Amino acid sequence: MKKELLFGFGLMAVILLAIAVFTPWTTLTNGHIGMIMLALIVVAMMMGFPSAFTLMGMGVLFTWYAYHSVDPHTAVQQTLDLTVQRTYGVMTSDVLIAVPLFLFMGYLVERAKLIKKLFHAIHIATARIPGSLAVATLVTCAIFATATGIVGAVVTLMGLLALPAMLRAGYDTRLSSGVIAAGGTLGILIPPSIMLIVYGATAGESVVRLYAGAFFPGLLLATLYIIYVVVMAKLKPHWAPPLDEEARRVALPWHLEKLATRYGRFALPGLVRATFTRDSDVPRRLAGRELLLASLPALAFVLVMGLAWNSMTRPQETYDTSGLVEMGLSGDTPEALGRDEDAGPGISEPPPEEESAPSVSEPPALEEPPALAEPPALEEPPAALEEPPAVTEPPLEETLAEPEAQLPPTLEEAVEAPANAAESGRLAAPAAFWETLAIGFAALAVLYFLLSFPRLEVFRMLLTSFFPLAVMILGVLGSIVFGLATPSEAAAIGALGGFILAAIYLAMDLPQDVRRKIWPVWIVLWAVFLASVIWFMLFKAQVITQPVPPLLGWVSMSAFLLWAVLASWQAKLITMLKESVFLTAKTSTMVCWLFVGASIYSAAFSLLGGHQVVEEWVLSMNLTPIQFLILTQLIIFVLGWPLEWTEIIVIFMPIFVPLLAHFNIDPLFFGILVALNLQTSFLSPPMAPSAFYLKGVAPPNVSLGQIFLGSMPFLGIVIVAMILLYVWPEIALWLPAKLYN
Amino acid sequence: MQKLLLAVDRLSTFVGRVFAWSIVLLTLLVSWEVFSRYVLNHPHPWALDAQIMLYGILFMMAGAYTLAHQGHVRGDILYGSFSPRTQAGIDLVLFILFYLPGVLALTWAGWTYANESLAIRENTFSPDPLPLYPFKFVIPVAGALLLIQGLVEILRCIVCLRDGNWPPRQKDVEEIDVEELKAMVSDGQSEGVKP
Repeated sequence: MKKELLFGFGLMAVILLAIAVFTPWTTLTNGHIGMIMLALIVVAMMMGFPSAFTLMGMGVLFTWYAYHSVDPHTAVQQTLDLTVQRTYGVMTSDVLIAVPLFLFMGYLVERAKLIKKLFHAIHIATARIPGSLAVATLVTCAIFATATGIVGAVVTLMGLLALPAMLRAGYDTRLSSGVIAAGGTLGILIPPSIMLIVYGATAGESVVRLYAGAFFPGLLLATLYIIYVVVMAKLKPHWAPPLDEEARRVALPWHLEKLATRYGRFALPGLVRATFTRDSDVPRRLAGRELLLASLPALAFVLVMGLAWNSMTRPQETYDTSGLVEMGLSGDTPEALGRDEDAGPGISEPPPEEESAPSVSEPPALEEPPALAEPPALEEPPAALEEPPAVTEPPLEETLAEPEAQLPPTLEEAVEAPANAAESGRLAAPAAFWETLAIGFAALAVLYFLLSFPRLEVFRMLLTSFFPLAVMILGVLGSIVFGLATPSEAAAIGALGGFILAAIYLAMDLPQDVRRKIWPVWIVLWAVFLASVIWFMLFKAQVITQPVPPLLGWVSMSAFLLWAVLASWQAKLITMLKESVFLTAKTSTMVCWLFVGASIYSAAFSLLGGHQVVEEWVLSMNLTPIQFLILTQLIIFVLGWPLEWTEIIVIFMPIFVPLLAHFNIDPLFFGILVALNLQTSFLSPPMAPSAFYLKGVAPPNVSLGQIFLGSMPFLGIVIVAMILLYVWPEIALWLPAKLYN
Repeated sequence: MQKLLLAVDRLSTFVGRVFAWSIVLLTLLVSWEVFSRYVLNHPHPWALDAQIMLYGILFMMAGAYTLAHQGHVRGDILYGSFSPRTQAGIDLVLFILFYLPGVLALTWAGWTYANESLAIRENTFSPDPLPLYPFKFVIPVAGALLLIQGLVEILRCIVCLRDGNWPPRQKDVEEIDVEELKAMVSDGQSEGVKP
């Protein structure tokens, strides 16, 4: 008999035996029937029938039974009502609506064909670290899995891409396969992930808080994986032999090669000379382009700091202080904006909340010289930094001399600050700003000191593969966590972002002459679209006082839509789009119908009084919170062997979560622990989806046993991470507490 | 027989695929609303209701499509190692025991539920109300499609019990299409990683 059969039937026998032994057959109450139903669902799901319909059917039958035991006449009607209301509840869930959107984003990103570039760039960037290929695999997995959230696809792709590379480089088979199997599953933990939405929808916990909470634990787990690989590569060099010189060398394009031989180690001065003088034989246009690339970090830094300085020192306005989120948002209301317009440039009334604060006098903005309305040109933030209009300039000495007025994040201080500004016109920028500026300049200096031509090339590779994904993930996550957008809004924008990524990457694969033809059109359409976006940002940063005119907005939106239609046709996105749409439909149907089933099922469970039985039973055991946590996590861990994470969450969370209050456990904290724990459900035999996906594409000499063995250390690391999280719950709770309390 | 099975599959697939495109509409609607609300400062009260309807329609109408292509998650631990005949036997019993009562109840209840909504011409609760009853009619329609597809699946089980192997299905996009993923990784070998 096969091992899986033995295990499956064994588990079933244990459960059925437990029912037979523990059920008080002589004094059977409805609550006990509920418990039997709970045990039966595990058995029934292991039989292999689609879980959504197992749950639904069992739920309907047991609901009828529960109603029937109260009043046989109305039972059928009540059952029907409950069924349809529960279904309708799932259909109108404003939490689950984010699921198809995130899936759509994931499928689009997956099909953008950038994983190869991503892996290659990260691999070159990490070439000097011990176990570099394995580290690069982990980083690629983490980023790509986070952006797509599709475990199977990530593991399969990396199995095709990284596994042969690692094996050729002489890496240990077990380590190589473990890294891929474990790295691919990170996508369900690191937000934005579907799993946390599903948990949030079942447990009634805010998805936003869950995302904020899961961010650091996700990073922690990824970091622990990387540390493990690096340590193993140091301890057992034959597991992960260092790469030879040839493999570490960065292949330079010809003009960089030339510049490198001409100017030596320092890229920046070399590029400046090649661009502005004629002393190299590289065309100056090419060198100039490279110089622009090299100066991107500095430009970005100056732009950010310039905008920050502008809004920090703006009188009365406190948009950027984190303590004043509500105030900033209240500025969005039509009244506030209307008043802004009426009052004319330069005058802005304080948001309503401020009026209640005693320390704020009437807006002193009227005293402002009109010169202030002429904002420093944004295109040149350096100018804004160096020579702001004289009236508004806070002398540096003064700023440094009065540090006490300068730490705005708390409400009182921020509200006091405008009063301060009444005299000086512009506020003094906080000391922290100047410190950041100094640190930033120091960092830039070090960066440019270290920047050699090969490093410039690595930077370019990262810029075209790693940064777009990272920006997209952080943008989606950041707008959710900082309350700028709801998860579904962020997911929709993310899906559009995925489409844009796919369009650009697929367009880069087109032949040169086709590309030449389409770029100009694209650039024009994008410029029209970006016009309102940039206008809006400048308006928000208070450089422009007029909101975006509706006409421009409509033109921009049409330009974007036109681009999307053009791009899907020109870059041959139709097939990809179609596949992503169908896959999104199938996967979201799978998740949402599971919810329909589970919601009918859990209604039946509570109708039967199962919750009371579980509660009495758990309370009668007199568990301490830690014992309760270990017990529940152990149950989830064991269920992860035969079942998938979706099934575990939708069936067991409604049972566990109501118990948390008795033990004073935060459902948020519990959710993060569960999310960590369910990583193991992908890795633990006999049903380890990760391992099977990998086996499906691994070379024949890699056995399933080796993959399982290779996953074991990572399984151990997950448990270590859970212990760390238990000992320092702040890892998960700090960020939500900081942001939302 | 096989013709009938595939015809129903095609019907479910067609309906599911048509409504699958609502994800594109949903993405555009949400993005448009975000743009309109933030950038143009012009929110639409009906947008959220419309978004939820698009989402609800998407997964309800794709239920039969997903069933036709075996996309619903199932516990694979035992099922995968059974012979096709055993699989068909289990499926047959559970389709009749769990699936039919559940889906029948849903379709029946959905029909009365939607008709009640139609009788009062129910609207969404919003300053810009949208009619709600067409959305509620999605429940019985989706239920009926599932019912038909379920009956076809039962026939498949019987065929499989008789023949000892599963009757073939139409092909559809797969999440893990190894050939396609291989193509994604291998083209342009020149850039490949040289360890």
